[in-house]
Amino acid sequence: MKGFKRLSLLMALVLMMGALAGCGGSKDVTNTSQETTENTQGDSSSTLDANKVIEITMLNSKGEIQAQLEEAAKAFSEDNPNIKLDIIVAEVGQSPFEKISVMYAAGNAPALAMLDPVDIPNLADKFLDLSNEKWVSDAVNNSLDNVTLDGKVMGFPLSVEGSGFIYNKTILDQAGVDPTAIKTTKDLEEAFKKVKAAGFEALAISPMDWSLGAHFLPIAYSTQSSDSEEVNRFLNELKAGNIDLKTNKAFNGLMDTFDMMKQYNMYKNDPLAATYESNQQAMGSGEVGFWFMGNWTWPQIYEFAQVTEGFGFIPVPISNNPDDYGNSGIPVGMGKYIGIDKENNNEEQQAAAKKFLEWLVYSEKGQDFFVNKANLIPAFKNITLEPQDPLAKSIKEYMTNGKTIQVISTLPADHWAEVGASMQKYLVDMIDRDTLIEEIQAYWKNVK
Amino acid sequence: MVDWRDVEMNREKSFVNKLCTYLVFAGPATFAFITVIILPFLFGIYLTFTDWNGISSTHSFIGFENYLSVFKDKTFFNSFLLTLKYVFFTVILTNVIAFLLAFILTSGVKGQNFFRSGFFTPNLIGGVLLGYIWQFIFSNVLVYIGENLNLPIFSSSWLSHPDKAFWTLVIVGVWQYSGYMMIIYISGLMNVPKDIIEAASIDGAGSFRKLINVTLPMMIPSFTVCIFLSLQRTFMVYDVNLALTKGGPFKSTELISMTVYNKAFLSQDYGVGQAQAFFLFLIVAIITLVQVYFSKKMEVEA
Repeated sequence: MKGFKRLSLLMALVLMMGALAGCGGSKDVTNTSQETTENTQGDSSSTLDANKVIEITMLNSKGEIQAQLEEAAKAFSEDNPNIKLDIIVAEVGQSPFEKISVMYAAGNAPALAMLDPVDIPNLADKFLDLSNEKWVSDAVNNSLDNVTLDGKVMGFPLSVEGSGFIYNKTILDQAGVDPTAIKTTKDLEEAFKKVKAAGFEALAISPMDWSLGAHFLPIAYSTQSSDSEEVNRFLNELKAGNIDLKTNKAFNGLMDTFDMMKQYNMYKNDPLAATYESNQQAMGSGEVGFWFMGNWTWPQIYEFAQVTEGFGFIPVPISNNPDDYGNSGIPVGMGKYIGIDKENNNEEQQAAAKKFLEWLVYSEKGQDFFVNKANLIPAFKNITLEPQDPLAKSIKEYMTNGKTIQVISTLPADHWAEVGASMQKYLVDMIDRDTLIEEIQAYWKNVK
Repeated sequence: MVDWRDVEMNREKSFVNKLCTYLVFAGPATFAFITVIILPFLFGIYLTFTDWNGISSTHSFIGFENYLSVFKDKTFFNSFLLTLKYVFFTVILTNVIAFLLAFILTSGVKGQNFFRSGFFTPNLIGGVLLGYIWQFIFSNVLVYIGENLNLPIFSSSWLSHPDKAFWTLVIVGVWQYSGYMMIIYISGLMNVPKDIIEAASIDGAGSFRKLINVTLPMMIPSFTVCIFLSLQRTFMVYDVNLALTKGGPFKSTELISMTVYNKAFLSQDYGVGQAQAFFLFLIVAIITLVQVYFSKKMEVEA
């Protein structure tokens, strides 16, 4: 009996110590690995230890290109056998910031994090300074503005993105509509009528909060002025509660267009029942003439359409005067940025992550991923591959002609969800325009 | 003569013994409980007094401001009312249905074991998966049936109307929990002593009388457990809410857990979110404790 008691005491001690040692142990491991890193770095600054496989992860917040990105990761590992890259996805409609804060809270942040422009400044103290990377000098003008903080580049520009009405040229030809001639709300309505008369659905409105809140409504902010300083002033005034949207021309113009759009929506009877997937199918399989969306959805349209031409963008008109600012340009801006974590990843992993970014920009396979596989529009001058997909081509055309309007990258993080919900209510006629205006203004007044 | 030194030593020894026994049997669990529950809980309370955004390395102390904004927040209040409504209907429906199922399945119908496991199965499916299954049913299957049979009630997806979407949550919640509660009620029903039922029969009680005056009072402990479990689960529900309606349409079905989560992680207002969570904890603790206290009082001995 006494022997048993001693044994049990011993076991309890062992258990407790095991638990304590468990905590301390991991620290030791990190220390050693850091030492190894320092050693290797001492030998040659950029080459990595060839015998060891370094595992890194990447958070992907563009669900549309998950498969392509996984393929790229595989190709990257073939070129660099000592690095293994895993891709974690934040689904379409889930805020990537939400995902990454959970991962940081768990002490398990990914080495590479693909985030929205507005998120990067919030993570500045956790991300690596990338100012000395090779690709910085090859990035196109202004593409690093959003992520340059105190003169340091904190993010890698993944792609240029644009949105507007995607049209199906085949349908428009049959209906006798020339998309380039649509300059006003009236023109657009005429086009919708013709498409309907030709036996097709005229328009698909995606009811997702991110589409309405992050892409559609901000057109009203961007078209306030062609001067971005002026737009910033407008947003600050909105925040201060000094703007009355009821009398705002651009906002009301956009909403007049939206009212008209609601009449021609193919999901008119139950607007909220439509899903992103059903919209993609309707567009790709030639059921509908127009759809308000961005070029990021091309891989899915292609799945149904199986052709690489016959689609393009037209702007969302905000008045009946063809010369008004905004009626001839589509919103084009930087879509996502990739940051490299320096808190939860050791130097070896950071170096591997840097290597992946460099591989994307400078290797043949990386460029192929960018342009041909993922249908992104790269923001790097050295990539000369021409985009194969018609939506990217269309955006490039708008860019060359200087017909773009600004995408505001500094909207508050929950803008799309909160204002998107108000827009959904307006879409199903649950609230009128006055209430919508009240809700939008109340959101801006209360935002932090 | 008593040797006092001996007694003193025995007392000491017994304390050490007790401590040893405690450490052996409850030590690891206590350690885990403190590190995983108590410390995060206390740290969470600390965070309610800061303006942390959930991710930055620095935050400053701002006193009770977060709590004030919780009480001023209309969205939070509305979501709380909605949750109360959800809890009310789900708890009542779950327990009524679970008890009826248990009553039928202990009365000796054919294939009762098969039915028991059948009704229990939904509880084995994870909430997220279950939400997606029902999302498909509500927005595709029922709409298809409604269109083909001309049933106006199913002609458009229930998930796109605020009121109907609320009821989908209740339906799925009841469907998920009632099987589990049924198992508890079945064990309660089987534990009612046969002799007192027999005695009641001899006294001339009919089957309804027996149910009301004998079986039900003997089953109060089962009700205590079931109502407690369903209260606590429905207050905290998140997974079904996320997978089935995602809070939509336009945030009209955002139950309290989702509101708290969105405040903390989506609006990047961790302090306020945490304060809301603490407020929620207090409410749930008070309601469940009151419920357990009163149902314990109702318990009777045979």
